[in-house]
Amino acid sequence: MELINLQTFSFYFFATTAVLSALGVILHRNPISAAVLLVLTFFSLAAIYATIGAVFIATMQVLVYAGAIMVLVVFVLMLLSLRLENISKLWDNPIRKLGLFGVVGILLFLIAANISLGVTYPKVSGKGVNANGEYEYVFGQNDSQTNNPNSQPNEFSSKENLSKELNNISSKGQSDSNVVSAKGNVAAVGAVTFLEYLLPFEMISILLLVALVGAVILAKKRKEEEGV
Amino acid sequence: MDPHISGIPLNHFLILAGILFSIGVAGVLTRRNAVLIFMSVELILNSANIVFVAFSKVLGTVTGEVIVFFVMALAAAEAAVGLAIVIAIFRHKKTSNVDEINLLRG
Repeated sequence: MELINLQTFSFYFFATTAVLSALGVILHRNPISAAVLLVLTFFSLAAIYATIGAVFIATMQVLVYAGAIMVLVVFVLMLLSLRLENISKLWDNPIRKLGLFGVVGILLFLIAANISLGVTYPKVSGKGVNANGEYEYVFGQNDSQTNNPNSQPNEFSSKENLSKELNNISSKGQSDSNVVSAKGNVAAVGAVTFLEYLLPFEMISILLLVALVGAVILAKKRKEEEGV
Repeated sequence: MDPHISGIPLNHFLILAGILFSIGVAGVLTRRNAVLIFMSVELILNSANIVFVAFSKVLGTVTGEVIVFFVMALAAAEAAVGLAIVIAIFRHKKTSNVDEINLLRG
């Protein structure tokens, strides 16, 4: 085993960062600092996902957690006007500002190095992963190597139809005309989501709609309170 | 059999998830500000996500990653509704401290 392996190193580095910043979230007295430390935790977890090759999940972690949810949390914290004075002190101090930028730069470099390095996969095949352990989702069942023993006969026919449709659209005239494969993490995850988990996906979208409408109604000012 | 992901033992992912889960539970139990309790709940959900992704890699299927996507959507919905409730309670009681909220007292 190599002495210095970037993947192993960055896993333990980001795991330590995640644990320490998570401890900071629950121990720090200033809620805004706790929120910033929680963003650091989310970024460390995104780096761990990128280290083990789950690029789609890493992207969603940054977009959804560090982007959307944390904006919501910080916005509410500011609306409740909890102590804010420490953040402006941090930005007044040039040395601490430089240190902050340095930490962010090192984190970005490590994440980029991990993604460009590629990932060694376990040699197992399953849903969305081929026999070499790479992300691949095969539409159509004529390929014996990637045959999925768990698939039901009724979804078999729909996949076959879909692969035919896809072939007609692309019209490349491949020799193996019944098989279309989606390669890569995002494509494999997307194929599994929309072919096998379509109903849960739609239910999640309805749940999000209901939650957002409910949130707006809850946070709205009532009419009798408007005059106050 | 000791499964590895990119040279890292599966156990270490599970230990990391366990530590984060414990920190999240400690935060829910000890903090009094409602928004910080929500942040601790996010930590708990993230520890579950680590376990999903790690087992998804070991078992060679992307189903776990799809479920992580659903968990993230649920976390977004939870944060939206929860923070709206916090704002509504703050407007009513002028506090976001869960100790001082006694609206459900009989």
